[in-house]
Amino acid sequence: MNPAKLALALATFALTPVFAKEEAAPPRAVLKPIKFIEYDLPNGLHVILHENHAAPVISTYVLYHVGSKNERPDRTGFAHFFEHLMFEGSDNIPRGKIDKYVSGAGGNLNASTSFDQTDYFFNLPANQLQLGLWIESERMMHARIDEAGVETQRQVVKEEKRRGVDNQPYGTLFEELAKLVFKGTPYEWVPIGSFQYIDDAKIEEFRDFWKTYYLPNNATLAVAGDIDVEKTKALIGEYFGPIPKGPEIQRPKIDWQVSAPATKKDVLKENTPLPATLHAWRAPIETDPDSYPLELLGNILSTGRSSRLHKRLVEKEQVAMEVEAFPYLLEQAGVLGVYVIGQQGVSLDQLDTLITEEVEKVKAEGVTAEEFQKALNQKEAEFASSFGTMNARAKNLARYHVFYGDANLINTELDRYLAVQREDLQRVAKKYFASENTSVLHYPVPTAANPAVKPDEK
Amino acid sequence: MHRHLLLLVLVLVRTASAAIDRTKKPEAEPAPAASFPDYKSVTLPNGLRVFVIEDDRKPTVTFRLLIKGGAIYDGEKTGLSSFVASLLNRGTTTRDAATFAKESDYIGMHLEGAAGADSISVGAGGLTKYTDKILDLFADAVLHPIFPEEQFAKEQRKALSALEAEKQEPARLADKLAGKIVFGEHPYGSYRTPETVKSLKRDDLVQYHQTWFAPNNATLAIVGDVQADAIIPVVEKALAAWQQRDVPMIKMKAPPELAGRNVHLVDRPGSVQSNIMFCQPGPPRNNPDSAELNVVNATLGGGFSGRLFQNLREKHGWTYGAYSAFGMNRYGGSFTASAETRNAVTAPAINETLKEVQRLRDEPVPEEELALQRQYNVGNYLLSLESSTRIAQRVQDIDLYGLPADYYKTYARRMSSVTPAQAQELAKKYLSTENFAIVVVGEAKEIKPELEKIGKVFVYDQELKPR
Repeated sequence: MNPAKLALALATFALTPVFAKEEAAPPRAVLKPIKFIEYDLPNGLHVILHENHAAPVISTYVLYHVGSKNERPDRTGFAHFFEHLMFEGSDNIPRGKIDKYVSGAGGNLNASTSFDQTDYFFNLPANQLQLGLWIESERMMHARIDEAGVETQRQVVKEEKRRGVDNQPYGTLFEELAKLVFKGTPYEWVPIGSFQYIDDAKIEEFRDFWKTYYLPNNATLAVAGDIDVEKTKALIGEYFGPIPKGPEIQRPKIDWQVSAPATKKDVLKENTPLPATLHAWRAPIETDPDSYPLELLGNILSTGRSSRLHKRLVEKEQVAMEVEAFPYLLEQAGVLGVYVIGQQGVSLDQLDTLITEEVEKVKAEGVTAEEFQKALNQKEAEFASSFGTMNARAKNLARYHVFYGDANLINTELDRYLAVQREDLQRVAKKYFASENTSVLHYPVPTAANPAVKPDEK
Repeated sequence: MHRHLLLLVLVLVRTASAAIDRTKKPEAEPAPAASFPDYKSVTLPNGLRVFVIEDDRKPTVTFRLLIKGGAIYDGEKTGLSSFVASLLNRGTTTRDAATFAKESDYIGMHLEGAAGADSISVGAGGLTKYTDKILDLFADAVLHPIFPEEQFAKEQRKALSALEAEKQEPARLADKLAGKIVFGEHPYGSYRTPETVKSLKRDDLVQYHQTWFAPNNATLAIVGDVQADAIIPVVEKALAAWQQRDVPMIKMKAPPELAGRNVHLVDRPGSVQSNIMFCQPGPPRNNPDSAELNVVNATLGGGFSGRLFQNLREKHGWTYGAYSAFGMNRYGGSFTASAETRNAVTAPAINETLKEVQRLRDEPVPEEELALQRQYNVGNYLLSLESSTRIAQRVQDIDLYGLPADYYKTYARRMSSVTPAQAQELAKKYLSTENFAIVVVGEAKEIKPELEKIGKVFVYDQELKPR
């Protein structure tokens, strides 16, 4: 895009109100519109800016469109390991200085890796905008990837896995769920990966990974807070403009079918204190229109003390500690789960029976008008109270852009929920809760007759 | 005047278009002031102090009532206050538990009670268009709970299962045992057991509520898209039935001293990591040095640039994280430094932790490092002011802990003026390398021999009973 065209595009963005049009019915709260501008740099970096002077703070957020699903099956955990290396430094930032610069500027930082993305953020006092842009542009342009630090981070990542997975009750749940439901796709391993492949990863492979995915044309930069848009645009142009555009990204092709054979697995762990069961079904991808009725159905099943599963399993039968029905939808796959941790002494059979009864009931009868309105009201309250901090705004603007192609969903996605019809909930319940496709994971409490094995470190 | 303004504009434009030098860390303009915002404060005729923090960023409102109470007034009945807190919305004089849940869920509001060491908080919030309804349910939960026998029995049953679960939660086991070691028989150190759960009676809850839920023993913070002048009369009306009354004066003992250096090991077979925790008594919340202590603590273990993180993680690769904290309550506190390490490096990680505490006492912190930590604290305090609920919490803390009224007005200035000499003096005053305990939760058969070189080792089972 030439500069004149870019300026015109920006002016158009700035003048067009981006908030949603008011709906006549049902009555709803007026969400406070989050105004923003967005544009591409010539190298393909997508930029989103939200100016807000409520507090003298800013957040920078960079989303790279690469996650564990881009990994090779014999290099699981790679994208996440790489994320750790991005704190080492750059050609212009000495090793170990990134956090010191950010902390010393009065800010804080972090990063995360999931199936579909890797993200990095800084929260800073408003006078430190330039520091944030400098560090992020350095990571994108000149990341330092050498042996120093790699061995240490190998150990750190293993401690992270022990802490979150191996040493926690039910810590392997997510990993087992992915294996069961996403089998045959690159979603079947989780971002933390396995010890073996963390050990196998070579320095050259890290460099290749950076060259392949850490490209401006595979990244979105969002900045929110107490900024001057014009000045920020100029700075972004200077820091990120010189980064060369890379080749087109090759993304995994996944033929996602929601119908899959049912499987069952008992996970025997020494550290399981109470019985837990998870029923899981394949679900649509996150951009599927069915995601909205599915989310509402999840609310009706398990959000609040008046939800169906809570009333039945926690209140009436008193067999459960907690219940959760959740759609977990991703870029190219999805899962629908019902998870219950039982009270002590309760049998897994009993929990399974109750879950099945409630699932069959909603398929057969649908939801009541009152339940449906409640779910809409809960969504409305959820949206109204989200996106309060500049960090949440930057993060969600970027997420909506990358995965939905529409950053303005931060203002309008609620409308999609409010457009759902009550009948849709029964329809999606029938469609996705197919009994022949129910996969089940059990975490039994070990007994003398049924002993567990020590947590393995494979 | 005009001329100056023009000059300023020119300077700004120049800055924006100046070519950047990416080989150097950019210089920042002066930091914005971390000034604590103004808020409206009134005392209602019944003695309830109300604070309003107006924030129109979201169309929501939150009410947070803070009752002085919590674990300190549990007496012999450990866990009583947390039963009271969790049963407030489970049956009132006009709504049974199911009706309450149905009405509050229907408008998408949240309402939850939680008991801490010194207080019970009751939070309720949702969309401003439902303000009246939210306030109605909130007032009902606070003023008219009846603690139905059947709901109490359910909660008791769940509490017993929760204790079963906690036997396998390493961080929770470490916290519970560290509290017991630091606070002894003081209520700050008590935790639920199956015996304490079973010994509670519904009448105890009723009694606790009648005793401590008095408007003159509480503060209320209102945060959100409201106008103080409009919301205060509404709140006053909703809480009109709440009568001022005398609350008992209980003189709390200070927590006991801790002598020697011992290791307390919870054997959790199958553990592939050890949760380690250095712990010792610390000062109460209203100690004169609490702002400055943030900087001292940050230097040791406040964040990613703290010494514990840099040493245990970045230098040795022994842990995912290593942090320290002063836990300050009304009548006393604790200091803890903790990390999770693989079994084989448990003892070395403890030794490095001890070395870092010792170094903070023995050597002044280099000015460059201290400057970073001062700025980290002041800047992150500034960032925290983005959250109105956090501001409200701080306003309520001033009252709860008896802090000076201008505490948060001077907070940033105090943190930014800590000198190396002062930091060392504070480390010497508040941290001991003579009297402390090390709590470890892990695989005893693998780690106990090495721990014996650090101090006398006391072993516990997963119910925290000495073996």
